[in-house]
Amino acid sequence: MGKGSLRDLGSACFFLAPALFLYITFVIYPTLDLFRFSFTSWDGVSPVKQWVGIRNYQELFSDRIFWQAFRNTLLWAGIVLFLNVFVALILAALIAEPIRGRVGFQLAYFLPAVQAGVVTATIWRWMYQPNGVINTFLRTVGLGRFARGWLGDFALALPALAVASSWMGMGVNIAIFLGGIQNIDPALYEAAKIDGANRFQLFRYITVPSLYHTIVIVLILSTIGAFKTFDIVWATTQGGPVRATELLATYTYKKGMLEVRYGYGSSIAVFLMLLIVLLSALYFFQQKREA
Amino acid sequence: MRWGLVPVYVVLLITSVLMVAPLVLTVFSSLKSPDQFLRAPWIPPSPPVFDNFVSAWYRGRFNVYFKNSVIISAIDASLMALIATMAAYAFAFLRFPGNRVLLMVLILGLMAPVTALILPLYAVMNSFGLVNTRLAVIAADLALALPFFIFIVRAYFLNLPAELRDAAKVDGANEFQVFWNVMFPLAKPIVVVVVLLEFLWSWNDLLLRLVFLTKDPLRTLTVGLLFFQGLHTHDPGGSAAAALILAGPVIVLFLLFQRQFIQGLTQGAFK
Repeated sequence: MGKGSLRDLGSACFFLAPALFLYITFVIYPTLDLFRFSFTSWDGVSPVKQWVGIRNYQELFSDRIFWQAFRNTLLWAGIVLFLNVFVALILAALIAEPIRGRVGFQLAYFLPAVQAGVVTATIWRWMYQPNGVINTFLRTVGLGRFARGWLGDFALALPALAVASSWMGMGVNIAIFLGGIQNIDPALYEAAKIDGANRFQLFRYITVPSLYHTIVIVLILSTIGAFKTFDIVWATTQGGPVRATELLATYTYKKGMLEVRYGYGSSIAVFLMLLIVLLSALYFFQQKREA
Repeated sequence: MRWGLVPVYVVLLITSVLMVAPLVLTVFSSLKSPDQFLRAPWIPPSPPVFDNFVSAWYRGRFNVYFKNSVIISAIDASLMALIATMAAYAFAFLRFPGNRVLLMVLILGLMAPVTALILPLYAVMNSFGLVNTRLAVIAADLALALPFFIFIVRAYFLNLPAELRDAAKVDGANEFQVFWNVMFPLAKPIVVVVVLLEFLWSWNDLLLRLVFLTKDPLRTLTVGLLFFQGLHTHDPGGSAAAALILAGPVIVLFLLFQRQFIQGLTQGAFK
């Protein structure tokens, strides 16, 4: 390290101080604390944090509700990925066609993306009600036998909420894919068209392979987003009926904040955190390969 | 018009109507009186009535929650613009030991999910006596989103010509003058993205506000809406109006700054 690298040290301290203070106090320290709490039976208030070793983790792995929350989270992610990666990619490819009104379509897809989770929850809870707009529509078109109280149904509550959540997230992915498609060399498409390729073949053999890295990255980011979901479930079913929509995030909150079992709640959060770190590592690996 | 594009238009029209319909139907409901709910949800209100908004605003105390949301989000957005830009300036232009290492540590922060950190964060705030103060929410908002904003501003700075800074230094300006008089104004396009996005995230956040602001006079719109719609499940007009009080400002901002929001949110998908 030469003298040159110390030249700006004083200024650097000044410019970085506020950011580092906030980051260390409210991100790094709590992250370390989270791991520490997960080895205690702390109730969140008492001055003593009783060390219990791996007992929380033993309880966690034999906790049927935890496993159900984990399975629910995976199912949630699966539905979100289908809609917000697969369907979003197709829609992006269609918007990229030489059409009029592209800006208008993009606006329509993106408008839900700026909505709050609680707003999405309020709107969709109303639409899913027994006498809500979805059932009214089904009855109007003669499909009344499919009408039901969507969020009260054990099998359908989770998919119904995942669809609402996807509504909120789809626009961002469409915009990412559209940006990617517009960067593909038009000569590729022209050449394939001369060879007589149809629209589906252009999508399958040019768009998808050209966007391979973007697709992988969006897959990872959408999975991370799905794992973090809390608001929309908390504002509608709070994990119910029974445990049908319990996710890792809602279960952590219930155990930690509501039942004040800080230690146990933290062990669930550690599990969630490790899943996300693993996925993030995949993301950086993918970014590096692309670069 | 090319006939081959007809199916494309059909799919795009149907899907974009499906995307916008929930919001349009919510606007309809918010303007209906109770007796108008006997008609189908897709029939516009006639005549439109504003009772639902008046009721949510005064009796639902959304006037208080609105003020609280504005205070927190405005402070969040302004402080973020300053703090993230300052840190990004240091990472982009200053030479100091540990520059790379610190940047790596910040990258790790991009992964920290608030849903997993909420318990220890509560413990930290509690030990500082910050629970039930706006400061708790503001500090947590800033800390959790800082890594992302530092990265986008740093990337922007790195694309600026380095001679600008050198020229200003030759003129005898000190480091802070270079930052404040030269670089900060030059970064305006990206600072606008930072301000808008931080405002949006702050405005829309539920969890931190739910945990740290438990007293009613401090509640923000998200927490207010959570409880309001929970109590008004059989009052679709009231819930719709309450939701729109929260969504309205965000929709207006989005329509005014579409480009910035789309740019920011596509980069911010990672947060």
